[in-house]
This record gives sequence, structure tokens and C-alpha cells, in this order.
Amino acid sequence: MLRTWSNTMNTLLALQNAVEHARNADYFGTSTTSKGGYPLINFFEKDGNYVAVAELPGIDKNNIKIEVKDNFLRLAGERSIDYGKDISRHRIEREPYRFDRTVKLPFQVDRDQIKAEYNNGLLAISLPRAEADKPKQITIN
Amino acid sequence: MSAETKEMIKQENQDLQKQEHQEEKTIAGRYFMPQTDIVETENNLLVTMDMPGVKKENVEVKLDNNVLEVEGKIDFSPYKDMTPVYSEYNVGHYTRRFSVSNTIDAEKIEANLAEGVLTLTLPKAPEAQARQIPVS
Repeated sequence: MLRTWSNTMNTLLALQNAVEHARNADYFGTSTTSKGGYPLINFFEKDGNYVAVAELPGIDKNNIKIEVKDNFLRLAGERSIDYGKDISRHRIEREPYRFDRTVKLPFQVDRDQIKAEYNNGLLAISLPRAEADKPKQITIN
Repeated sequence: MSAETKEMIKQENQDLQKQEHQEEKTIAGRYFMPQTDIVETENNLLVTMDMPGVKKENVEVKLDNNVLEVEGKIDFSPYKDMTPVYSEYNVGHYTRRFSVSNTIDAEKIEANLAEGVLTLTLPKAPEAQARQIPVS
């Protein structure tokens, strides 16, 4: 992030971004996440391909819609919470929501190879990079 | 130190222990506070916690001295051969404590984990259940 010292202003802006990012991610907080879009997604790289993991506890997997178009990934769905009628609430922290989020991926995806799994409230989508998008190694004759 | 002071300190310590997150864990790694709903029905107290990524076998529920302690551990092994490139949320174990009244039938507590949501059913002890008294 702090790549150069030649432009002090850029360095300061980068520092500000870093601080804001840390605050938004709520790293020092007590919960795994706080602010930002929903669902929150972690991206991983695995053998040159990518895996997107999202925390989506308590959702019927038939209610999760995953779409990939060009290099846009869209996650939509709904989580409902129903405790029935005759209850008294002592503490309510979990929220029901309807979500729809689209993220732009920095590569083209091989759409026929995309796989999604939903286990223990975690949605994992493996996004293989399209062959045509992979860099080609060129040898010198 | 007078006996009175001792008693006061003891009481304070007990009060502290009742608070959530008061004790440190012996196992390294970050712990998070699961978002929790607590609702009461006619016969039960329902505790619902979001614990995405926790498997059934890694959940521990304890009720001791009217303190309900829940711990859910994450299995980090799937993350071993993956390199994070962009992250929006933190991954870690979950733990939370609640003090409950002594009107819970500890023997009959039920726990169920589905899709990353832990549901605890704490039945009220029979003597704590409301009784309708007919007027004759």
C-alpha cells in the first residue's frame, strides 16, 4: 500500500484508506463483520482459480440465487426469521433480510465450471478462470 | 482485611465472572460474539445464534451455576491451501455466555445446529411455568 514516498499526499490518502478499511472491517470488534454490503464475501486463490466464500447463516439453499454474467457475480436471496406468534422477545440481534449483491471479478470466468456449495451457513463458489483469460507463457526462440 | 471486605471482593469477582467474555480462553485464536436472539415461549426459552462455518461436532453447550456458555469452533483446515486475496469478514471461533435464571430444567436442554444457526431450547422448570388459576 505504501509503495512510494515521492508523493506525500498519495501516501497520506493511502493511509487514510487503510484506516477506513480497518474501521469498516471492524477488526477490533466483537463480531466477524460490521458494516458494508451483504453478504460479505472473502475471496481466495487456489491453484490459479478463485473461490468466493460468503457467510449466509440460516438461509434455505433454494432461496439463494447465484448468477454469473461476463465477469459479474451476483448473489441474491432472502433470510427470514420466524419465531411464531406467542413469544416475548428478550434479545433480538439477528436480522431477517433480503439481499442482492453484484461484484465485479477482475478476470473472466469459465462459466461451465462454476460450482457452488452451501454448508454450515457458508456459501462457497469456485470460480475457475477462463482458459482464454489466463496469461500465455511465451518462450524465446 | 476484614471479613466484610473479603466477602465484598468475592461478590465482585463473582459478578465479574457472570459478565460475558470475562475469562480468557486457553486456546489461541480469535473468538467472536455470535449474534443471538433470545425469545421466550410458554414452555421454553429459545436461544438462537448465528455461527456460520461451525460444524455440529465442534459445538459445546454448558450450563453451570446458571451461566449458559456456548462455544463453537471453526475448522480451519479447508482454508489451508487457499490464499486470501480479498477479505471482508474475519474467520474465528465463537463464544458467548449468558446468565439465566435458575428456573431452567438443565436436564432437558436441547441443541440443534442447522445451516450455521444454533438453536437451544431451554425448557422452563415446571414450577416456573405460569399456571392458570380457575376462579371457583
